Amino acid sequence: MDRRKALKNLGLLSGSVILFPSCDFSKENVSKVMNNLQVSETQESLMKSLAETYIPETDRPGGRSLNLDEFIWVMVDDCLPKEEQAAFIKGLSLFEPAFKELGGESFQKSNQEQRVTALSQMMVENPVKEIPQEVIHFIEISKSYAILGFMRSEYVMTEVMPYSLVPGKPPVCRTIDPNEKINIYA
Amino acid sequence: MPNFNIDSQKDRTFDAIVIGSGMSGGWAAKEFCDKGLKTLVLERGREVKHNVNYPTTNMNPWEFEHRGALTEKIKQENPIASRCYVFREDATHFVVKDKEHPYVQEKPFDWIKGYQTGGKSLLWARRTQRWSNLDFEGPARDDFAVDWPIRYPDLDKWYGYVERFVGISGNKDGLPQLPDGDFLPPIVLNCMEEHFKEAVERNFPGRHVISGRSAHITEAREIFAKQGRATCQSRNLCQRGCPFGGYFSSNSSTLPWAEKTGNLTMKHHAVVESVIYDEEKQRATGVRVIDANTKESTEYYAKVIFVNASTMNTNLILLNSKSSRFPEGLGNDNGLLGKYLAFHNYRGVISAEYEGMKDQAMSFRQPISSYMPRFRNLYEQETDFLRGYATEVSAGRMVDMNSKGFGTELKNNLLNPKYGNWLIRAQMMGETIPKENNRVSLDPVKKDEWGIPLLSTHVEYDDNDERMIKDFEEQFTEMYEKAGFTNIRMNDSKQAPGLDIHEMGGVRMGRDPKTSLLNEWNQMHACKNVYVTDGACMTSTATQNPSLTYMALTARACDHAIRESKKS
Repeated sequence: MDRRKALKNLGLLSGSVILFPSCDFSKENVSKVMNNLQVSETQESLMKSLAETYIPETDRPGGRSLNLDEFIWVMVDDCLPKEEQAAFIKGLSLFEPAFKELGGESFQKSNQEQRVTALSQMMVENPVKEIPQEVIHFIEISKSYAILGFMRSEYVMTEVMPYSLVPGKPPVCRTIDPNEKINIYA
Repeated sequence: MPNFNIDSQKDRTFDAIVIGSGMSGGWAAKEFCDKGLKTLVLERGREVKHNVNYPTTNMNPWEFEHRGALTEKIKQENPIASRCYVFREDATHFVVKDKEHPYVQEKPFDWIKGYQTGGKSLLWARRTQRWSNLDFEGPARDDFAVDWPIRYPDLDKWYGYVERFVGISGNKDGLPQLPDGDFLPPIVLNCMEEHFKEAVERNFPGRHVISGRSAHITEAREIFAKQGRATCQSRNLCQRGCPFGGYFSSNSSTLPWAEKTGNLTMKHHAVVESVIYDEEKQRATGVRVIDANTKESTEYYAKVIFVNASTMNTNLILLNSKSSRFPEGLGNDNGLLGKYLAFHNYRGVISAEYEGMKDQAMSFRQPISSYMPRFRNLYEQETDFLRGYATEVSAGRMVDMNSKGFGTELKNNLLNPKYGNWLIRAQMMGETIPKENNRVSLDPVKKDEWGIPLLSTHVEYDDNDERMIKDFEEQFTEMYEKAGFTNIRMNDSKQAPGLDIHEMGGVRMGRDPKTSLLNEWNQMHACKNVYVTDGACMTSTATQNPSLTYMALTARACDHAIRESKKS
């Protein structure tokens, strides 16, 4: 029995249940086992770099120190429906080649500026090179979870836009200063 | 050991049994215990002690693993519960999971359940309005259901009695369709709600936008201190259980109060299978209870039995209380038990934006928003549908989150959001007409894990509801336009009945035993020592949030039961 047929018999080629992160998965050790997904070291490190790229460290903490890659994995693993999970993983596996098409260099080897430029080019409406739909989807999802993780981080909710568990009084309208920094949790 | 049984039976005998510890059951417990009756409260769920079993109440948003979202696994396993707005990461533990107590849907019905001490009183939306005579007279005037056996004056003082204990914030608005109560200071309208109020009241005589009346303590009083409750802190996290007791729940208020008297016995995991009817004595003598975990069956006895199991389960218990005298369920001589179920039509939501008032803003953490009492068909029939709708109106200044770009640009955008327009949102709460065909019954075959038949639901919307949704859209579009709003968007959620969590009826009150199950005191016509004072007793639904009326009816019925017991 050839390998393909064997996999089919095991139900592993039915599409929706395939959560294997990439085609060369078998060559690599699983480095992270979650409730539903298993990911390789390469994928883990790519996500780490992506989270840092999306929201870099500046005078305020960013993706690295807030461990936003961890949060992205948790949300993808627990909160995405099976089919979207599969699409996400597929997009992840196609990300590097697609990035290379536009950036010239691999994502991991590029610096922040190159990464941001190429990512921006990938996400324009009609990119110079065709970007697989799964990659676009992957970037959108991972970015939106990075944003959620950042905005709902203890850091932002205590240091930047303080959230009060016990406001004490019902809110009332107030006259605003047009230049004020908005606290969305006030 | 003959004495053993006698003792055991004595231990299982009380002055009163209350089935259910939720909104109305908690009140029955308090009233009976206060008056010295040894009272047994049976709760089918687990124990949730005020301030002890509120595991998420002091958690910050970042402490939730999924920041409030439900996992896909929970959603897949609970399609029904997941549709309920309180079923989020911080409160899933207070909502019954779909597989825990299945039921049969002949027509789609989202049955939301809270099996624990306090039932759904932990989770309710806390709006509280009195009914007026315009509501009690509705069925007789418009010729549906049966005439209510009571009128506003019968309930007036009981509303006040309940309000003073619960703590209801609100304004005395002097509106005939929404009688004033014994109020604490109101939670005031915000500037956008004020703007809408002004536009509505100027252009549409007879329509009013008022401060929402709600069960939030807004002023310290001795009666609340005695309950161990403090003023509302505007946390807006009520569904987790409130450590301040700022909103009313059985857990924070009536049950601990009853417990302090020394007259309360509370049993958890106690699934009531049926009410026991004694043919010789011609009354109910007790209830048969199945332990939710061990499945062991026990009987408890009392002179008076209050059924407050929540609308659906009260119907289920009574339908399942079969005897040779009542082969179709307790008190069901006329075959109407389980029928004429109704609910509230929440399907219509209309939102809009306001481009003015750009120099004002406020946060969104208002404990309760404004309210528009019913204005349709108040004194006479004026539309192509019966009755009308009340409306919750909320407003807040939008903040545009800018998530464009990557890197420092994105980070900058996220940390510097800009104010957008004002957003206003109105949700209807329409009266539905009880009909014989909207009903619950026992499934003839399927049973739950306690050997009790599954409840089967057959409840649906009708043309009257559809016409009302259309009118809601038309009227609010017009009011919004007059208020200068733009981007007006109507959404019909098409949500199934039940998701309103205002299901009512099935054991309705009425004057005539031929056409109703309960009399003017909430006693079963055919079994006078059984009272039903939860949502199941409702003859019609009006447009008010129902809990306050259940509580007032319960206090009144307890008073009656105590007076009756003194006579005998």
